[in-house]
Amino acid sequence: MSRYERKDSQRSDDRIYDDEYYGQYNEGPVYEKDYYDGYGAPAPPKTSYQYPDAVAKFIIHLYKAINNRDTAEIENLYEIRFPQLTKDYFKEEKWPSDISHLVEDQLFITLYRELYFRHIYAALPQSLSFSDRCNSYSNYCELFNLILTSPEPIDLTLTNQWLWEIIDEFVYQFQSFSQFRRSPKLNEDEMSYMKDHSYIWSVMSVLNVLYSLIEKSNINLQLKAYFNNESSDGVAGEFGKSPLYKMLGYFSIIALLRVHSMLGDYHLAVKVLENIDLHKNTMYCNVPACQITTYYYVGFAYVMMRRYADAIRTYTNSLLYMQRIRQMFQAKSYQNDQVNKQTEQMYTMLAVCLVLHPQSIDESINAVLQDRKFAEKIARMQAGDLKEFENSFLFACPKFLSPVPTSLDGAAPEQTQEPLHIQKTIFLQEVAQQIYLPTVRSFLKLYTTMPISKLSAFMETDATQLGECLLCFKHKMHNVVWTKGISSLDGEFQAGSEVDFYIDKDMVHIADTKVGRRYGDYFIRQIHIMDELHRALKSLKF
Amino acid sequence: MVGGRREEIEELRAEINNFLNTVERYNSSNLLKFQRYVELQVTDNFYDLEANLAVLKLYQFFPQLYQPDIVNMILLKALTNLPHTDFVLCRCLLGPSQMEDLSILRIAYLANLLELCQFKKFWQEKAQDNTLITQISGFDDSIRKFICHVVNITYQTIDRGVLKELLGSIPDAELRSWIAKNSWKEEPNGMIFIQSQEDLVKTKNITEKITFDTVSVVM
Repeated sequence: MSRYERKDSQRSDDRIYDDEYYGQYNEGPVYEKDYYDGYGAPAPPKTSYQYPDAVAKFIIHLYKAINNRDTAEIENLYEIRFPQLTKDYFKEEKWPSDISHLVEDQLFITLYRELYFRHIYAALPQSLSFSDRCNSYSNYCELFNLILTSPEPIDLTLTNQWLWEIIDEFVYQFQSFSQFRRSPKLNEDEMSYMKDHSYIWSVMSVLNVLYSLIEKSNINLQLKAYFNNESSDGVAGEFGKSPLYKMLGYFSIIALLRVHSMLGDYHLAVKVLENIDLHKNTMYCNVPACQITTYYYVGFAYVMMRRYADAIRTYTNSLLYMQRIRQMFQAKSYQNDQVNKQTEQMYTMLAVCLVLHPQSIDESINAVLQDRKFAEKIARMQAGDLKEFENSFLFACPKFLSPVPTSLDGAAPEQTQEPLHIQKTIFLQEVAQQIYLPTVRSFLKLYTTMPISKLSAFMETDATQLGECLLCFKHKMHNVVWTKGISSLDGEFQAGSEVDFYIDKDMVHIADTKVGRRYGDYFIRQIHIMDELHRALKSLKF
Repeated sequence: MVGGRREEIEELRAEINNFLNTVERYNSSNLLKFQRYVELQVTDNFYDLEANLAVLKLYQFFPQLYQPDIVNMILLKALTNLPHTDFVLCRCLLGPSQMEDLSILRIAYLANLLELCQFKKFWQEKAQDNTLITQISGFDDSIRKFICHVVNITYQTIDRGVLKELLGSIPDAELRSWIAKNSWKEEPNGMIFIQSQEDLVKTKNITEKITFDTVSVVM
């Protein structure tokens, strides 16, 4: 245990990127012994449990496929065989923790251990122990260590899906630990252990990994070149040319978007994407879960920035993309549930945005919102029901975290929900400021010109208050909207609202929006569907 | 601005920009420089959202280094950049105990009035917080600039008295200078012509335009 003692565990004032840091974990294989063994539950016996031959065969197969860089076989084993075996043999049990008698390769064992822990988190949360959390962290350190400290790019081929899920899971486990750390479930031993090892799953260590992967891969330079239609060979460098490093770099950017969002830093969240063109179908990402995650967090950040037009565009694009790929997208990964949930969340947030900022959207997406489930929510929100806004927010928002343990920011241990509470309060204050606008809008819609006095009679308010209300309407409907360029932060002020007006002396002049029927989207979608059908038919063997 | 001061600002600005582009933005030993940069924004009336958010982030990561005065400055500076939503962005980075700080609650109250465009009430309430606000050089004028922006997008012609009240019942000479600054025109009947809105606010007929880009995916 002593080799994990670190004097500078907080690393509060040190540079983040520091090769030495990774070196700390190089001193011995972690998997041989659970390094946190100082409490209650005894470590499971290593060899008493006999698992079926199929499992051993699978592990050896996977090792061989990776050695042979056989991506088709890796994909098959990882995305189909592994979930299948899990279903058959490990519904209620952990995968074997020690496979050193089957494969001796250090890197492979680390990759396998990542799957092993991921399975516990996903399928056996009730048996997820404190030591599992710590050991999984140290396994990640070991894995990233092997990747980042190697003097030359390591020779490893994995599918993009797999790489994405490693990074995604890494952030998920960080999030899970941050919440766990603030929960009252901890016993005293665990508390004191964490106090002495505060670097475990600390926000700094997570940022450290993500920034290092981004830096190592030169991914930002590569993306810039890609945006300018230039070859990235000149800027990628030795590591960035390797697909492994390049994709880990790309996924780390998306992971940063997520981490910053969870911390409430929406500006930085969108800023880290400044070299990714969200409006282009990017060749960088053929992993649907990654695309959806990107849109989900960007959309949410836009909502919090009061950039509703941008949020609506982002959600709509994402949901259209979902509709398109649904047929091809098979239920073959752990993340399918997550993707479905995020889709629901995006529809909910889209509904919120459209109540606050009505505008016409793609008809097929609109059709879903007309569905009873959403239509009722929308009607309640339009009627100014703050509780409905709150429910929608709570359902659709990301997980929020505090980056420090409770003891540091003075919150009582039971206040695990504080970060969520803060973000929710801020959002609801914004909504409360706009709560009368739908009413104003509904009156404005009735006329093309209307004296102020008449409108104030409708609104049952005096002229001064109404004046403020109308100024507020214009102010809130006038938002920054992205127009061009690679950075999603850029934009200019635009009035995008469906109903607009201006005041000339005592008269309100109203301009409505009339939307003609749209055909283009419909035809393009049909062409896509036919195209996919055609392709599917062609691949059939008769 | 004194010469030496301007140099200090430029040097610090360059240094801060370098921090922001790397992981140095999370390094708490840079906090003193970041804080100094906030103070300079306050005394010398310039603004850098990105740097200020980085300060709040450092407080988030290292709560023991939290400086309430600096946070007040950052929040007030965020108000000077209305109609941008900087204030909200800054507030999202505060922790639970900070949200209940009395000064912060007070600033949030003022921010709420501004967001609701209740300008008359804002000027009345603001008068009670002078100790907090007078340190922010150019604060009132920044708020007036925001008010002018809202007037500009709302009105074609506005009553002179109403405008004067919105801007905090300023003296006539000052009112005239705001009118000139915005290229507005005083009309003889006590009205002020803001700008012609007919072309900017008109009924839209959205007919579909299909760009080549949209179709290119299926070509």
